[in-house]
Amino acid sequence: MFRRYIFAFVLLLLLSSFAGMAMAQDAVSITIRCIASPPEEDWRCNNFATVEEQVEAELGIEIELNLIQDNASWGDYKNEFVLASEAGEAPDIVLSGHEDIGAWAPAGFIIPLDDMIPMHSEFEDIVPSLWDSHGYAGQIWGIPQDAEARPIFYSKLLLRDLGWSEEEIESLPERVAAGEWTFADMMATAEAAIDEGIVDSGNGWWHRPSNGPDFLYYYYGHGGEVLDMDGNLVVDRDALVATYELLGGAVASGVLRSDVIGLDWNEVWHPTVAQADTVLFAAGGTWNWPNWAINYVADKGGDEFLFENIGLTLIPAMATGNAITLTHPLTYMISSGSEHPDVALELIAAITTPEHNNKHAIDSFHLGILNAQLESEAYANNRLLSSAHYMLDHTTALPNHPGWNAWSGAYFLGIQAVETGDADAAGAADIAIAQMQNELGDGIIVR
Amino acid sequence: MSILKPKGGQSQSSRNALRSYLGAYGFMAPAGVLVIVFFLIPVAIVLYLSVTNLASSNFTSDLAKMEFVGLRNYETLLNDQFARKIFFNTIFYVLFTLSIFNVSAALIVSLLTTHIDRNAGFLFRALWILPRITSPVVYILIWKRMMAEAPFGIINQFNEFLGQPTYNYVATNPWVFVIVVNGFIGISFGMIIFTSAIESIPKDLLNASLVDGSSKLQRIRYVILPLIRWPLLFVVTYQTLSLLTSFVEIQLLTDGGPGLYRTEVWSLTAFHRALSNYFGNAQWGYGSAFAVLLVLIGVVLAVVYMRVFRFDELIAEPRVEVL
Repeated sequence: MFRRYIFAFVLLLLLSSFAGMAMAQDAVSITIRCIASPPEEDWRCNNFATVEEQVEAELGIEIELNLIQDNASWGDYKNEFVLASEAGEAPDIVLSGHEDIGAWAPAGFIIPLDDMIPMHSEFEDIVPSLWDSHGYAGQIWGIPQDAEARPIFYSKLLLRDLGWSEEEIESLPERVAAGEWTFADMMATAEAAIDEGIVDSGNGWWHRPSNGPDFLYYYYGHGGEVLDMDGNLVVDRDALVATYELLGGAVASGVLRSDVIGLDWNEVWHPTVAQADTVLFAAGGTWNWPNWAINYVADKGGDEFLFENIGLTLIPAMATGNAITLTHPLTYMISSGSEHPDVALELIAAITTPEHNNKHAIDSFHLGILNAQLESEAYANNRLLSSAHYMLDHTTALPNHPGWNAWSGAYFLGIQAVETGDADAAGAADIAIAQMQNELGDGIIVR
Repeated sequence: MSILKPKGGQSQSSRNALRSYLGAYGFMAPAGVLVIVFFLIPVAIVLYLSVTNLASSNFTSDLAKMEFVGLRNYETLLNDQFARKIFFNTIFYVLFTLSIFNVSAALIVSLLTTHIDRNAGFLFRALWILPRITSPVVYILIWKRMMAEAPFGIINQFNEFLGQPTYNYVATNPWVFVIVVNGFIGISFGMIIFTSAIESIPKDLLNASLVDGSSKLQRIRYVILPLIRWPLLFVVTYQTLSLLTSFVEIQLLTDGGPGLYRTEVWSLTAFHRALSNYFGNAQWGYGSAFAVLLVLIGVVLAVVYMRVFRFDELIAEPRVEVL
């Protein structure tokens, strides 16, 4: 009798194991890796969980969704994907900067999506200019997840102290966009604020304290190019010198601190700029706003405090005469190791809707990627987004090129040289160009 | 003097010799395997990577698929306009941190704490170990929070309270902080080695020197220091090599800045090139070239140290007679 029970139990165990295995084999496992600053950017991965059942119903399959999301450093995050790809353990979908297409496409870590994109009508509504930053070697390698603008934040509080009227303050973005109020005007205003003791020397204008995409718009603003028509890396010496003259001149005139590069983002840069009472102009990114509201001025009223005391505008016109900004879209890319790229793209398509992208856009102050978002009530009624969306008309982007890393590192060396006084503008350009030529060899054309 | 041959003749002698060799090698085998697995094989791999153009954009773990570029990475490295600066930064960093903190301060702390009440000495040594056992990230955050500019830094808050001017300490004196921050960690290692060496000196010798009329300073100079030469060599050698390859605290504190590679050291450059880059496309091959030169420098220095400190004599039979 006892043996019979044992036999029945073992049989049941085996049957349930087989059933479990069969179910597990039916389920399509999709792993998605996102980088996000919590809590405002969590929708980057969390959106997928909200469409899991919908996609399961559409495709008639069971999906086992694994979301991996954290706020790792960019360097570690990117290396992780490279190593995971080589080890055959890459996630199906990886979210990263569009410039990674330039390294990961030639390495074979991601797949081109040209053939699959037309199967999803959701992608037809993506703002056309965003596709420009998703191409490499004539193919599309990613789907935009978000867009942003990198504006100048100006302190309304300090401009009022300087004697600006409310009308002058509120109309500044329009005047900048029209090219009437230029970068030279911004420098002159900052100098006046320092002369009148409204801000301390060095606090007229702060740019970011570490290397990053922002710096490229000064070079673009002086007519510089990074890629020529044939897709070769180029450097325009005149634009480079002019850029370094602008940055070095800002330090020499006392508008910009010579040690702004190296300031700690979280200990000094954000807490200072967010208060609006110390720095007159600060070059940042739209996503800084919710970060400030949540982490630095929540006790003063958060959003309301910021609206009252801080405004944002395009980067005022430099030599080209056009106001400018830079968009650095994050991009969903599908790993070449994915066994179900079709399911992965179906999931991406399902969250590429105004409803889903608005959640991310509104919470994190990233600009929308779909034309329909502009018309959606949630987006249009958002004071911040509706006031900044026009910046996409003035935007530029980083290049997608394997040599961009070396180019940008050398360019940043020149910025450090000129701001610390180690070299004048021409000397800084020599340093940058020599570095590019040493590391890129024939891969860089100096014009 | 006659030499007695063991019974059994030549073959017996050879077998005994072989047996004793095997015994010796057997005892050395675990350490030997560790050196091979964790040093020689990685060095060989890094050496190979350094003659390829491996980067994120062509990354592969298959050695056969990597593109061989000969000495191009070394040529690029030697033509780098900042390589010389980074090299001398490294010498400066190692020399000052080693001499001021890792050896001198460690020796002073050891001597002082072994010449006071035993419990008090233990307490002070425990305090000096704190920087070593604190996570580097937490340790550097503490320093940053202390030294941050006004109104954020604790020191500057005191300055403001006292009506004194405020400073951006780390930006204006980056080397001072890089050396002090690393030195505070480095003290503990030498301190433990030196203290144990001093404590192991037979008390009779120490007491005898006092009975013979020497002062405590003379006892340190003529008794203690000569008897801890071996630990001194070990600490100098080990800490030199350790400092040559250490970069975490520098990365967290200044990341090689401010300005043009002001506090960038060789190992940090290797890390920046091969493993950490804001825009991705890490240059594994080029970074490996930096790492290979670091290994070479380390090996050469180790040999030089052994010659200078007469390693053979130091590992000879101890002259101190333990009663």
